[in-house]
Amino acid sequence: MERTLRRFPALQAWLLLLPATAWLVIFFVAPLVIVLIYAFLERGTYGGVIWIFTVENFQRVFDPLYLDTFLRSVYIAIITTFFCLLIGFPLAFYIATRPQRKRNALLLALMIPFWTNFLIRTYAWLTLLRTNTGLINVSLMSLGLINKPLPLFGNDFAIILGLVYGWLPDMVLPLYAALERLDWSLIEAAGDLYASAPKVFLRIIWPLALPGVVAGSMLVFIPSLGAFVTPAILGAGKSLMIGNVISNQFLAAHDWPFGAALSTLMMALMLFGTLVYFRSTSQKGAIL
Amino acid sequence: MQLANSDPLRRQERAGAKVNQKANLESTGIAVELRDVVKRFGEVTAVDHVSIRIKDGEFFSLLGPSGCGKTTTLRMIAGFEMATSGQILIEGQPQGYLPPHRRPVNTVFQNYALFPHMNVYDNVAFGLQMQGIPKKEIVHRVMEALELVHLKGMQRRRPRQLSGGQQQRVALARALVNRPKVLLLDEPLGALDLKLRKAMQLELKTLQDEVGITFVYVTHDQEEALTMSDRIAVMSKGRLLQIGAPQEIYESPQSRFVADFIGETNLIPGEISSSDSGAGIVLFGSAYTTAGWVEEGLRIGEQGLLSIRPEKVHIYPADFSQTPPHMTRVDALVQQVIYVGTDTRYVLELPNGVTLAGRQQNTIPGGGQFSIGEGVILCWDPDHARILRE
Amino acid sequence: MTTSAGQSKSVGETQPLDAVSAPAMLPESSASRRAHWLARIASFSLSGYGFLGYLFLYLPILILVFFSFNASRSTAQWAGFSTEWYVEMVNDDQIILSLWNSLFLAVVSTAIATVLGTLAAMAMERYFFTGKLMMDALLYLPIIIPDIAMAIMLLIFFNISGIGFEPWKVHFFGVELAVPYSVIIGHVAFNISFVAVVVRARLSQMDRTLEEAAHDLYADNWQTFRRVTLPMLMPGIIGGALLAFTLSLDDFVITFFTSGAGFNTLPVRVFAMIKKGVTPKINAVSTVMLAASLLLVIISLFMRRGGEETSIDIGI
Repeated sequence: MERTLRRFPALQAWLLLLPATAWLVIFFVAPLVIVLIYAFLERGTYGGVIWIFTVENFQRVFDPLYLDTFLRSVYIAIITTFFCLLIGFPLAFYIATRPQRKRNALLLALMIPFWTNFLIRTYAWLTLLRTNTGLINVSLMSLGLINKPLPLFGNDFAIILGLVYGWLPDMVLPLYAALERLDWSLIEAAGDLYASAPKVFLRIIWPLALPGVVAGSMLVFIPSLGAFVTPAILGAGKSLMIGNVISNQFLAAHDWPFGAALSTLMMALMLFGTLVYFRSTSQKGAIL
Repeated sequence: MQLANSDPLRRQERAGAKVNQKANLESTGIAVELRDVVKRFGEVTAVDHVSIRIKDGEFFSLLGPSGCGKTTTLRMIAGFEMATSGQILIEGQPQGYLPPHRRPVNTVFQNYALFPHMNVYDNVAFGLQMQGIPKKEIVHRVMEALELVHLKGMQRRRPRQLSGGQQQRVALARALVNRPKVLLLDEPLGALDLKLRKAMQLELKTLQDEVGITFVYVTHDQEEALTMSDRIAVMSKGRLLQIGAPQEIYESPQSRFVADFIGETNLIPGEISSSDSGAGIVLFGSAYTTAGWVEEGLRIGEQGLLSIRPEKVHIYPADFSQTPPHMTRVDALVQQVIYVGTDTRYVLELPNGVTLAGRQQNTIPGGGQFSIGEGVILCWDPDHARILRE
Repeated sequence: MTTSAGQSKSVGETQPLDAVSAPAMLPESSASRRAHWLARIASFSLSGYGFLGYLFLYLPILILVFFSFNASRSTAQWAGFSTEWYVEMVNDDQIILSLWNSLFLAVVSTAIATVLGTLAAMAMERYFFTGKLMMDALLYLPIIIPDIAMAIMLLIFFNISGIGFEPWKVHFFGVELAVPYSVIIGHVAFNISFVAVVVRARLSQMDRTLEEAAHDLYADNWQTFRRVTLPMLMPGIIGGALLAFTLSLDDFVITFFTSGAGFNTLPVRVFAMIKKGVTPKINAVSTVMLAASLLLVIISLFMRRGGEETSIDIGI
């Protein structure tokens, strides 16, 4: 037995992989396939499905109501990614340019919110943003700076803020990883060759940080697109994203096929984004 | 991978159980034998039909530039790679598909490969523990090994607390403590600085003499190989070019590569022509010399290279008339004079434009006796020259 | 000039970028002086920005903790110090039960996922075989896929398969729990990949020659694994386990959808509380969870002593 294993090392590999693969195939791949199948079935009267093939579910997506939610979700995800990049890049740059010891402390300080429950961090903003009882409005009004509470809650603004806050570490970490590998002597060489600071950034720093940018963007865009908790808590039922609509199909409307279709479309969108990511990293060197 | 004669190998493998320390040495006294060993990695042939017989107790070196296959050969002896075809025998036993932990050899790795999570004692004791040797004997043998490499008292230290030279010695001790039939060393001194390397070379040689184990030593440093070895095998591009004692390799290189790789040599192109004594005569420019046939198959009329080492070229003033009759004698012009402390080196130009390197020891302080532009006479003993294929 | 070095130290940064700050002994032309000041301003702004960035990250959390000690029902107006909310929290049976549920779930799913993930990591890092690329993709999918998608597909799966939402009735440190198998299965499903990623990172950095050396010294595959590979891999395995543990504790969406009726973990309970009404009690629970995260980060820091990898390995 041992000799057979030695003759065919690939067998050893598959043996090691067996438990994990089995688990994932049964409890991940199979459910995924089921969802794909369900998307093409008709809904049953009291929930469940009827085994009739239909594309009606996908057609319903183009209903103005749902299409609007879909597009808004994409819009929110893009804005979130953009702001995470805008805020996160200088932050990553800052950390990467500190001396080693301070860097470790800073990274540790970054890990703490990263490892803290997402729900809690979203709840924190809830207490800050709420219209009449949120800290911001209460304080501003009691200081006499404003007369009416600011509309910081139950809208896209709150959701974007919550998402940016929640996923910022996911952008900063890959960016930091890319910038940390940067050879600073390149910047000195550029300066030696008469490059000004903006030029140095555009021509040297940005291209070399690009793998990190792509990785971070993917890590922010995908969960933002599929956000559920943030719009549920900060959107206050008035602002919904596609994640909430999907959830509704299963918890309230009992329209599983439609929910499956929505989910399928959402994943297709993300797959598209991921392929773009892998394409560009294969040309530029990978972070993940 | 298919072995040409796999059946005998599998049979041998079934017969060969755990490492047998008391294996009978074949009366031929051959510790390691490679019979027509080939190793291919996909399209690349790393080791090309290599056959070697390493004698018991020998310090045997595999010498060659990077990528010549010497390390792959060593790894096949150790069992980390399996030959594509051919046989490897240790003490007369074909090794077949035996994995490294069943072979009576131990390796000293280039990067030492000391286990960082164990201290020196545990590192050295590891092999003995794996063989199930009783604890008391382990303690005794580990201490003995540490003393052998002059590291007594270091047993509790961790590898990261040791210097490069010390780590190297732990690696040695860890291998030697198992009393293998053959010790394999993969460029063990590569990471050390020059002075330490030279010191370790002598230490290793002395150690080998003391312990009497066969050493198979891989290096790309020809000076190192010349210093330490009983015999050297020169390899290039997977092929074995020449095996011999250091003097033999140095004085009688059998190919251009060996002549060029070992030490310095002058290579003068010329055409093969005949002589009455059967030795080949090389025509260059308008002068004749004689030299012995070296490379097989060189025929009259073919282009060849005359190889003569700089230190064999005697330089005399132009008016010197007492050169011995059997020696080759050529006129030359001094083109460059380079002072390097112990020697003065000359670049000498022959009438047909070819340049030769020459060397004279600075026995008189102040450097060489010849200056640029001066005419000189060069002469050498034809026995010191070799004719090689281009 | 030593003054510039002294001045930059007093601004609060320890070491300006070499490329950005001008050399000390330049002649004082106006162009160079301007460049010098621009560089100092740039580096000062960067530090200021860094400070603001971290403030942004921590301020909401700090305010949250602050108000958990509020003496009134408000989460926005301070009415004095009080620990009443913590008392209420501790006396709330549902919260305590959900805490135990969370812990049990985390322990069990981490244990299973760590074993499966480590084995998978070893296979992926040490071998070449056909279909490796597909395995790679399969292992990465649970990391990439958004919570909600995974939650609903598991929901459907458990509904139509025989598994359903049967609870595992078990005694855990004296507490009687009923944890649905479905939730455990779901947690393991997403944790395997995370463990695998961390262990793979560690494994890829390991010196291969060490395993060769072990073989050379008469250790067979099992002995090599036990005496050399595993000890060296342990920090990575523990790192992966810690990550899985945290992710399991923190998970909301997948737990929410796969637990059937009536099963609460702490995050699920918190969500329900938020829906009912916002009180500082939620702040109190949040603070406790925060403290737990902090503890886990510190533990992972100690584990890091064994290796030189950056925190990126477990960050992504």
